[in-house]
Amino acid sequence: MSAAKGILIDTTLCSGCEECIVACKKQNGLGQDHAWHAQQSIHDLSATRWSTIIRRPARHYVRNQCRHCVEPACVSACIVGALQKSPEGPVVYDEDRCMGCRYCMLACPYGIPRYDWDRNTPLVQKCKMCEPLLKEGRQPACVEACPEKAMLFGAREEMIAEGHRRIEVNPGRYLPKVWGETEFGGTSVVYVSDISLEFLMSKPGSGDTSLPELSWAALRKVPGVVVGMGTLMAGTYWVIGRRMRLAALESEARTAPEEDAATPQREER
Amino acid sequence: MSKRLVVLKTVLWALAGALTVLTVARFWRGLGATTNLSDAAPWGLWIALDVMAGVALAAGGFVMAGTVYIFGREKYRPLVRPAILTAFLGYVAVAIGLLYDLGLPWHIWHPMIYWQHQSVLFEVAMCVMTYLAVLALEFSPVVLEHPMFGHRAFRAILRLLKSVTIPLVVAGIVLSTLHQSSLGSLFLITPHRLHALWYSPIIYVLFFVSAVALGMMMVILEGLLSGFFFRHPIRKDLLSGLGAAAGVVLTLYTVLRLGDLAGRGVLGIALDGSWQSTVFWAEMTLSAVLPAALLSIRRVRNSIAGLAFCSSATVLGMVWNRLDVAIVAISRPAGMSYFPSGMEILVSLGVIAVAILAFLFLAERLRVYEERARVAVKSPSHDPASLHALTPGVMAAPRRYSLAFVAAAAAVALILPERAILGVRPSQTPVSAVRAVEGVVQTDGEVSLSQLDIFVPGLQVAAGARRANLMMIDGNRNNDLVLFDHAGHVARTESADSCATCHHINMPLDQNSSCSQCHRDMYEPTDVFDHASHVRKLGGNDGCEQCHTDSATVKTRDTAVACSACHAEQVAHGSAVEEPGPRWRCAAGYMEGMHGLCITCHEKKQREAPHRFPQHLARCDACHNVDYAIRVAEMIPAKRHTGAAGLRRDQTETDQTGPGN
Repeated sequence: MSAAKGILIDTTLCSGCEECIVACKKQNGLGQDHAWHAQQSIHDLSATRWSTIIRRPARHYVRNQCRHCVEPACVSACIVGALQKSPEGPVVYDEDRCMGCRYCMLACPYGIPRYDWDRNTPLVQKCKMCEPLLKEGRQPACVEACPEKAMLFGAREEMIAEGHRRIEVNPGRYLPKVWGETEFGGTSVVYVSDISLEFLMSKPGSGDTSLPELSWAALRKVPGVVVGMGTLMAGTYWVIGRRMRLAALESEARTAPEEDAATPQREER
Repeated sequence: MSKRLVVLKTVLWALAGALTVLTVARFWRGLGATTNLSDAAPWGLWIALDVMAGVALAAGGFVMAGTVYIFGREKYRPLVRPAILTAFLGYVAVAIGLLYDLGLPWHIWHPMIYWQHQSVLFEVAMCVMTYLAVLALEFSPVVLEHPMFGHRAFRAILRLLKSVTIPLVVAGIVLSTLHQSSLGSLFLITPHRLHALWYSPIIYVLFFVSAVALGMMMVILEGLLSGFFFRHPIRKDLLSGLGAAAGVVLTLYTVLRLGDLAGRGVLGIALDGSWQSTVFWAEMTLSAVLPAALLSIRRVRNSIAGLAFCSSATVLGMVWNRLDVAIVAISRPAGMSYFPSGMEILVSLGVIAVAILAFLFLAERLRVYEERARVAVKSPSHDPASLHALTPGVMAAPRRYSLAFVAAAAAVALILPERAILGVRPSQTPVSAVRAVEGVVQTDGEVSLSQLDIFVPGLQVAAGARRANLMMIDGNRNNDLVLFDHAGHVARTESADSCATCHHINMPLDQNSSCSQCHRDMYEPTDVFDHASHVRKLGGNDGCEQCHTDSATVKTRDTAVACSACHAEQVAHGSAVEEPGPRWRCAAGYMEGMHGLCITCHEKKQREAPHRFPQHLARCDACHNVDYAIRVAEMIPAKRHTGAAGLRRDQTETDQTGPGN
């Protein structure tokens, strides 16, 4: 059993009370939400709101937060390793390393990371699965706060197993799918639900491809390009240089006594 | 100096002047205050134009160096130095542009110590940094040739640098190949965001090939422009040869791009008539198809006008391509869009202007061109009567530049938007009054909540339900409303002065002001005290002492008499809502006010009689119901106030949600 932790969210139990959001704000010291020109709705995720509840028709409530992917796109995108996947499960952020390129925000398939746009020393803001609490052996604040027990915290494999168990025991209650088990290589925050959670994915039907693998496909070619292009260019230089030298010698031999053949002054700029 | 050069430099200096003011605003007040970037648009114009397009525009350096030094095409040698200088300054501009864009620009050196080899961006950063150094070394002989560096030591360095020319050129080509293509690879990780017409598993090949073509076209355009501004003879033979080669590369690019679409089976998307397909074809035509076709005609590529048209078309088209990939074709959550702010556009142009000024400065002083673009130094003119030296003629142009610089800086400072000066402020979300709607109320006896619904023709009305006028509480008019049964609440509230239970400030004759009269903003507290109207009512300056009774103290709100001293009858004591303090200051935001009022009471009722409300009276969904929003959205279109958060339709109403709810 790996040590990686996860959260199981059962949307059928969530009553939309937002106690988890209050607890999250308190735990992480996030403060008041303010509406401003670049924010669609004050209830969206923002630098001061790391988790939120999306209300869906017919009284359905779906929590949105960092999924702490098993193969996080943000971690592989981060140029300086400011985002790291810790062995305990959370994807954590080191503000001392971050240089603020915001590639993580572009890379995240769920559009989770938020930015302190209103500060002149901005940082990336997102859920860190209450890493300090985990170190104390406690549960994330949102899980602790949930009055409906709609969230469950434990080893990721156990959470997935529990999701499947719930579906098996109560097949009428849930759609037969543990959301996040395989999407983009799997997430640590998984859902069981009675409504389709496709809308939580950036692009419905994105599939199960691991995103870091996509960029790795290009990065893998780097050594080859260095060696190949270097050799090709050096070789071309040598071949063409030699051909020109030979041509020059030939014309020299032909017109030797009369004039100095104009040997190409290759080294001069 | 030619007049057209003076005009060009005046414009460039003006842009530089604008840049200085915007630089202060950007670094003092931050990205949110100066850009239109948002969580939905993390990358904007600065990345797309200054970095991605900038790097591609500077590709001429490695292309020309390779052509002459590696492939031995000696006749193109006159084009190498301008191309290397353009590349060097282009990359410096990229680095400077990046400083504006980075959230923590003082950490720009971090990639050097925190290696993260899985990141494409890391590879780009390392290559660009190294290539900048290579370009500096490639160009430094031009500087060291200057008579100023006549000392033996400098000559030795010059010889050393010239001896490593070929390794430097090879390194430059390798590094360029890597990062020109990797700028495309950056988007490999965003299949969920980048539109299928631009997202391609071989995007790095497309970026590299287009950069090579763009590099050549840029050299052509530059050759033409320098001829125009410096009044050089234009080396048409060289430029048309380059044009022919660029045409071939552009053809290759077109074939690759369309072949890739066909290979991925998305050619249909390019023909489906969506706006993306229109943008795609316009971009392809301008950047590649049209120039490639025209350049294949000998007469076109041998004419200056033809070369000028084709090179500008590719330059514009390829810049557009980079903008498409980084901005236009990126999907955003429903309702979110990005268009750069005026400040972003001016900063981008300003950085480019400074780079061009640096280019002109060096081109005029060093042997960048075969024919040196000399600054003509005129001797100062003298007043014929006194022989007193007048302002030297050579100073006329610099004085004009200074004027342009200062005037532009002043103009920009004057029109700078408020947010760039004061920083990001919460935006105002004015509250509208409550509307009435015909509804249905179904009360399930003493137990559980009443079920409210909007009455629409055809609605199945249950047996025990009654029709009633309901209030639609929707302050910000985003259709995300709460239905409120006022009559029901009046009936359930037993006491005689029941109004005071919920309404705290009662107007005379038991009338009450509407909530939105004081709670004027949806989210932010508003100051309810209107000093001006009090001054008017109390008879101008004569009335001051009616409130500021103690003339010895400073006249502030705290030293004035309490509001309740005059407005006693307007304060309803013992109400469920918060009683205003003696000096009314800020009314809470509408949302906070309503939540405070309703939830407080609901929680109390829930505590008192939990058995009556098995569904929880104080839960969000006791009042909020997404279904209302959907119903109302069908009946009346939502009023959309652009620019004010919270006024746009909530995502929950639509199924077309994107990332980042």
